[in-house]
Formats: sequence, C-alpha cells, structure tokens
Amino acid sequence: MTYEEFADARLAALLRYAVMLTGDPHQAQDLVQETMVRVQLNWRRVARADSPERYVRRMLTNQFVDWRRGSWVRRVLLRGEPDEAVAAPADHAQHTVDRDQVWSWLAGLPRRQRATLVLRYYEDLPDAEIAEILGCAVGTVRSCISRALTTLRTEYAEARP
Amino acid sequence: MTEDDLRAAFARHEPLTPPTGPVRAAIDRLAARRRRRRQRLRVGAAAVALVGVLGVGAPQFRPGQTAVDDGTTLMADPSGAPVGTLNVLLVGVDSASGSRPPLADSVLLLHVPADRSRPYLISLPRDLAVPIPGHGTDKLNAAFVFGAGDGRPDLAKGYDLTRRTVADLTGVRIDAGVVLTYPVLRKLTDAVNGVEVCLPERVRSIHTRRIFPAGCHRLDGAESVDLLRQRRGMPDGALDRDRNAHRYAAGLVRRAGEQGVLTDPVRMSRLLGLVGPELTVSWSGSASLPDLLRVVPALESTEPVGLDLPAGGNGRYLTLDPAATPFLAALREDRLAGWVAANPARVTRLR
Repeated sequence: MTYEEFADARLAALLRYAVMLTGDPHQAQDLVQETMVRVQLNWRRVARADSPERYVRRMLTNQFVDWRRGSWVRRVLLRGEPDEAVAAPADHAQHTVDRDQVWSWLAGLPRRQRATLVLRYYEDLPDAEIAEILGCAVGTVRSCISRALTTLRTEYAEARP
Repeated sequence: MTEDDLRAAFARHEPLTPPTGPVRAAIDRLAARRRRRRQRLRVGAAAVALVGVLGVGAPQFRPGQTAVDDGTTLMADPSGAPVGTLNVLLVGVDSASGSRPPLADSVLLLHVPADRSRPYLISLPRDLAVPIPGHGTDKLNAAFVFGAGDGRPDLAKGYDLTRRTVADLTGVRIDAGVVLTYPVLRKLTDAVNGVEVCLPERVRSIHTRRIFPAGCHRLDGAESVDLLRQRRGMPDGALDRDRNAHRYAAGLVRRAGEQGVLTDPVRMSRLLGLVGPELTVSWSGSASLPDLLRVVPALESTEPVGLDLPAGGNGRYLTLDPAATPFLAALREDRLAGWVAANPARVTRLR
C-alpha cells in the first residue's frame, strides 16, 4: 500500500475520529495534519506494521493524549479563535439542548478517558484493541471507562432539577 | 444517562468533520516543507559567535599549529593596534569528518566599528541565494562545500570561498575568519565553567529531549551544543537558531569578562590554547594577528548587538529584503549604531 492509497482510504475516518476526540473541527484538523505529516515522512515504517490503519490511529491517539509531546496543542491555543467545541448542529428542541450537554461534559474529561469513550462508543472497538491503541492493560481501559461514565452520570444527575 | 446517549452524542456531531480535500493538501505541503528541512543536523551559529567575540584573538592560530602557551605573543608590540573597522567572519560547520562534505550552516559576521563602541554580530541566513564566485547562484551555505570539495574536504578552502562570497555580498573587507565545529564549542564552554543563556521561549531538544525553559540558565558544554543545534520546532527555524547563537555569544563574553579572560592575555592564551589545534583560521594581510587581539580590551562594551541580515521568502531560497540595502550601506560606511537606533525591532533580545 502506498501513502496515497492509505490517505484515500482512511483520511475521512481519521478526521471523524479526531473530531470525536477533540470535539472541535479546527483542533481535529490540526491533530490529523500533524499525525499524517509524520505518517508521510515515515511511510516505510508505517507500512511495515501489521495494520497501518491501527498503527496510525495509535499515533494519533497518543498525540492527542500526551499533549506535551506534540506541538499541535500549542498551535491550537495560539490560534485565538473562539472555541467552537460546543457548537453543535442547530436544533431548537429543548431535549436537544440537554443532549448537547453531554458533548460539553465530554470536553471536561481527562483526555485519556475521553479517548477510551470514543474508542468504545464511537469506534465500537473491543477492550483488547482499545488497550493496544492506548498502550495499557485491558483492566485499565475498563476502569477508565467506568470512571468516565461515573463522572458523566454525576454531571447528568446534577443538571436535572 | 445511558451508553446510548453517548453513542447518539457522537453520531450527532459527525457533521463537524472537516472535508478531506484541504486537509490532504495541507498535509502534503507541510510534509514537503519538513522534508526539505530535515536534511541533517547543523552547526549552531553559535559556535561561531563565541570565538569571534571572545577573541578576535583566535586568528593567531594557523591550521594545524598548536597554541602559544604563554602570554608573550599576545602582549608583544604595544604600538600598532589596528584602527578603523574590523570584520571577522565566523563559519560554523557540522561534522568535518566522515564521507559527507561539511556544510557551512552558520555564517556570522562580527563587526567592530572604528569607534570601538561595541561588537555587532550579524547572522547571514544560510539559505540566502547569493552569487558564488565560479559557481553561479546558490545558497550561501553551498559556498563552503564548493570550496572544500568532496572526498577529503579542505576546511581552509571551504572558508576561503565562503569569505569571497560574503565579501561580494556585503561589500566589506573581511579581516579574519574562523571555522568552528561542535567539539571546539563544547570545550570552550566547559573551559569557562559554563555560559549563561537567556531564552525568551522554551526550547525542546529534538535530539536529546532536553527541555530548556524560558529564562536564564547556566549551560555546560554539552547543553550549549545541544541548544545551539536546535532549529526544528522553532517558529523561525534557522533564524531562531542564529538568535540563540547571539544570546549564547553574549553569555560567553559576559562569562569570560567575569573571569577576567578578556583583559588577561595569559588567561586568554591558555583558553585559546585549549581549543587552538581544532580551530581552522584565516586572515588577510591588513592587520597582524596579535594586533587584532588588542581590539578586545579597547572595546567600550563587549556586549554584542545581535542582528539578522534582512532577508525573506518562503521557498527553498531566501532573497534579500529591501531593508537589506540600507543595512548593508550602514555596515560598509560604519554607521550601524545609527541604523540600530532607527530599527530597534531588528535587534535580537539577548537577555
């Protein structure tokens, strides 16, 4: 597989994944760009992996989780544009406003917890694969998810009158 | 709240996904730029700076000749200290050994005005497109390779072609020059017990992962070399590295001043003797070398002013900025103090 074929096939999915991780189209674009530049420059190494797709997703996730290692966050923060993290598609029904609360609560989670939620409930990956992407034990993934859900449920309960 | 709510929240936000076309193009553009920059590690301009300032004295060494080990040469001949302006060319090269030819990636001009007010360190961008005598137009750093040749590179010849290129470019006479490598820099730094460098922003080494936080730090030889190699990841790339070189040079001179090296010929001689055998130096006949050294104590201030030759461009080559014309005129006519007063924004902040 060449880099071009890989990008043709996977770029859209990676962008969707990055949107779920970051909650923001600009940050998602920066995250994907930064990762894919490294993918392109090191394509031979990426192509040698058993599954280049999984390898790249792992790169992108690490880049997101471990922000100190990457430079993308700094650039995003310097961008100085209003944060559109909670600007969901417009729908004026009251219950939608409530549901979009979920999106802003997600933004408050630690990155690693948010990543596990995205991998489990958006990408629908089994725990073993999530553990591999995050480079941790399966037990850690489970406790991460349960802690994240607890946080979200607490927020939910508090938001209910 | 259920897991299905979570699934629904993700699904609802899928329309936020940006289109792939522009992202794809941006990736290709960034990757191309980074590939060009990647080529190899380069010498910190820095290297240079230091000896230049430290010693305009460095030129007393001939290539391969070991250092003078007492102060007599330096103190001799109290009569003729040179008058008029002085220009010393400082060329930093990466590893001179091995199969690949060395590149001159840091080219600095140390300018001492006739009134001896203070030294100016002018970095010439290595990617600047310039006419190279006998080789058409190419990047400034190519002059060193053209001169030195492949196979067994000759640093003195590489220096010489660089010198002629710079003299044509700037229109000033080059009185002396030094070729510096990393080992020289490291030894010098350790010899003065470390150098204080003040950084305006955090720098992270891509080579050792060492973090240099913003602010002032005392760096030892290995740390200094590490800092001066950093170019990738900085907002202005090689330009920022040149500025760190300015800061390093200022710190080295301060340090040498504190230890009395600058005014004590015996100490200076000992220091230079430490690195002398590894320096490749050259000079033109306009002033004798011990005379050149006498300029150092004559300076009112040894704190250098860091300047970049105004140049710009986004492509492979940089070209001279319109502001370069008055700048070079000021340099030739020894009016840099006035130019700096009129263009304070172009001075590198050193501390």
